Amino acid sequence: MFAAASRATVLIKLESAKRGKSLPDLARARRAVVPVILALSLAFPSPARAQATLSALSGTVKGPSGTVVANANVAVKNVATGQTVETHSDSSGHYSVSGLAPGDYDVSVSAAGFATITTRVSLAASANATADVTLDHGLSLVDLGFSPAQTQGSAADQARLNKRSHMLMLHQRFGLIVTVPLIATLATSINAGGRHSSNTSRDLHVALGAATGDLYGISAYYAIRAPKIEGTPTRGPIKAHKILAWIHGPGMILTPILGAIAYDQKNNGEKVHGIAKAHGPVAIVTAAAYGAAILSVSFKF
Amino acid sequence: MNKRLLIGFLLFAAPAWAQSESEWLLDHGTLNYHVSHPLHQVDGVSHAARGKGSCHSGQCDFLVAAPVRSFDSGDSNRDLHMLQVVRGGQFPMVSVRTHLSAEAAKSTEIHADLEIEFAGQTVQYKQVPFQLSIQGNEAKLTGTIPAKLTDFKIDPPSLLAIPVKNDIPVYVELTWKRHK
Repeated sequence: MFAAASRATVLIKLESAKRGKSLPDLARARRAVVPVILALSLAFPSPARAQATLSALSGTVKGPSGTVVANANVAVKNVATGQTVETHSDSSGHYSVSGLAPGDYDVSVSAAGFATITTRVSLAASANATADVTLDHGLSLVDLGFSPAQTQGSAADQARLNKRSHMLMLHQRFGLIVTVPLIATLATSINAGGRHSSNTSRDLHVALGAATGDLYGISAYYAIRAPKIEGTPTRGPIKAHKILAWIHGPGMILTPILGAIAYDQKNNGEKVHGIAKAHGPVAIVTAAAYGAAILSVSFKF
Repeated sequence: MNKRLLIGFLLFAAPAWAQSESEWLLDHGTLNYHVSHPLHQVDGVSHAARGKGSCHSGQCDFLVAAPVRSFDSGDSNRDLHMLQVVRGGQFPMVSVRTHLSAEAAKSTEIHADLEIEFAGQTVQYKQVPFQLSIQGNEAKLTGTIPAKLTDFKIDPPSLLAIPVKNDIPVYVELTWKRHK
């Protein structure tokens, strides 16, 4: 506050000097301004003063046997305003909340396997109050024989699940999109490889096949790169879906290779021969396996 | 005749449950959630539930819990998706607590106030009816918990842009054995 008054005085001096006022004028101005600043500073308390009245609450969370309870959720609710501040106990069971206005607070402590306990604490101004909490449980998950590894989840585990779901959703969408150029590629194959085929129909067939392969690659990428969740054996329709992938996956690689050989042979005016003759059958098997793979997981959430 | 025998047996058996100090262990339990969709019906079953009951001075506390990932709907892909939707990575357990007075054991139907912890939420269901049958040191409890996805702040998953129904009734079948 005094610092503010001094700054005001300095400003008045500078302003007065600019205007060329005399020293008695400056003294009068100072006498007029200082009370105003004092009144304003009383009406609007500075943050520093508000902080001086704030209190802190800390304590230790323990279980019925006296062992500390880590990661307990501690919710400190201002009874008057309803505002709640939450924190967690650390590995030694200790928690602390600062910056609380004086007043009554409901401190609710909860932890997995324990009954939630709520206790009321009155905080005086500028106090460092202590509220140790002993959690009681009729029964806990530990009593049931579950290990902490089973009962403690983590944000990282959830993030892995979220990423997996997201990537598989993209896999599914791209997988469905693939069916459009795939069907079109199959349809154009009639004019691409026959005796009366033209370069145009072959080029269209190749372009659609390339689009199919690219989209298929994107879809496969999301399936292959989706995080694996350990300890989850494959059950149900997804088993068939994965087995079918071992047919259409290699098929999607082999088909364009054989197609490229057949394409060259046709462009050279040759009849498709040798290994390239397998292009059509391989493509049909691949497309059939792909369709079956989609159908195998069509009816699910 | 059978009914009379059952009532007589229950009146006789009730004190076993009601004894001032007794402990009950879940011998085997089945939890079965049901999800409805206009195109599909799904049941997820868990046999991995564990439970314990502790009675003091005629008041009993029961806790039953199961790992969320133990529910099997017959499709691991769907189960993992459900695990993600219900935040099972962060909150891997579902637990049910209830407090019963020993008087409750005198009836074949009890109404229990349940406190369910699931998906990071604690939700209370009041007066959920259960059928109780006691045979010697064994008590069988069956009933359906009228759970809803929104109670646990779970966004209903969709199939073909149609979300599943909000109701996910959980059928419960628990067989308890008196431990001491």
